[in-house]
Amino acid sequence: MKNRIRVLRAEREMTQEQLAELVGVTRNTIISIEKDKYCPSLKLGFRIARLFGIGIDDVFTYEEDKDGPSQDDD
Amino acid sequence: MKRITYLTCTLLVAVLVAAMIGWSMAAGNFIVPVIAIPLGTIVVLACRRNVQEVIGDERLNKVRSRAALRTIEVIVIAGAIAAVIFYSFMISDSLSPKVTGRVYLNDDGTSSMIIHLYKPGSAETPENLIRSTTIRDINSMNEAEAMDYSQFRRGAFLDNELKGIAGMTIGASLVAMLCIFGAFYLYYDRKY
Repeated sequence: MKNRIRVLRAEREMTQEQLAELVGVTRNTIISIEKDKYCPSLKLGFRIARLFGIGIDDVFTYEEDKDGPSQDDD
Repeated sequence: MKRITYLTCTLLVAVLVAAMIGWSMAAGNFIVPVIAIPLGTIVVLACRRNVQEVIGDERLNKVRSRAALRTIEVIVIAGAIAAVIFYSFMISDSLSPKVTGRVYLNDDGTSSMIIHLYKPGSAETPENLIRSTTIRDINSMNEAEAMDYSQFRRGAFLDNELKGIAGMTIGASLVAMLCIFGAFYLYYDRKY
């Protein structure tokens, strides 16, 4: 799952700390999402998209692996 | 309240409650834990409610649940191995002879003692008796008498020793569990 949070945040001159506070998560979670290490829940995804005032498709892009669905759980 | 203050409060309350429970058990007062545990929980919950920072979110929940699951897996395997080892100790312990003893006060002011050694896992009857030792004066025993006496003393304190070993085993298991959880937590925290 790719995302444009870093870009969107930079456009709005928003820090990771501010974004984390606004969506109700820790700064580490925002860092992990931006690094594509953690895939947020739908609820958090919508919350982030709504905060930026755009659709969820404009923030997150789902890229399927060559072998099939991505296995980021283990 | 900041997150670090909350964590410090939680640690202090945990230490205080543990100390109170330890003291009450030693003193034979069983009312203290009944009051201290719910009171400690209320204090921690009240502190948690006053934390302004975000102290938990979905990512942390995921990290914690994965770390907890892996910890349980490790503990179950290690616990099964440890249980087999300890059970084998218990079986071999019943093979050791049973020692009993009795002290008598003599007319001249000295104390005598009779120590009986019975067959392992048998009743204390004359037919199961391996040997008996009589210590004429406890204060001036010879080497053989002293060895029998020390064996008897060790047997007398075995129950206390076993309780102590059980306590230490539980404590060590808890520390091991926390260490394993901490290691997995750090691993998954870096991963996600």
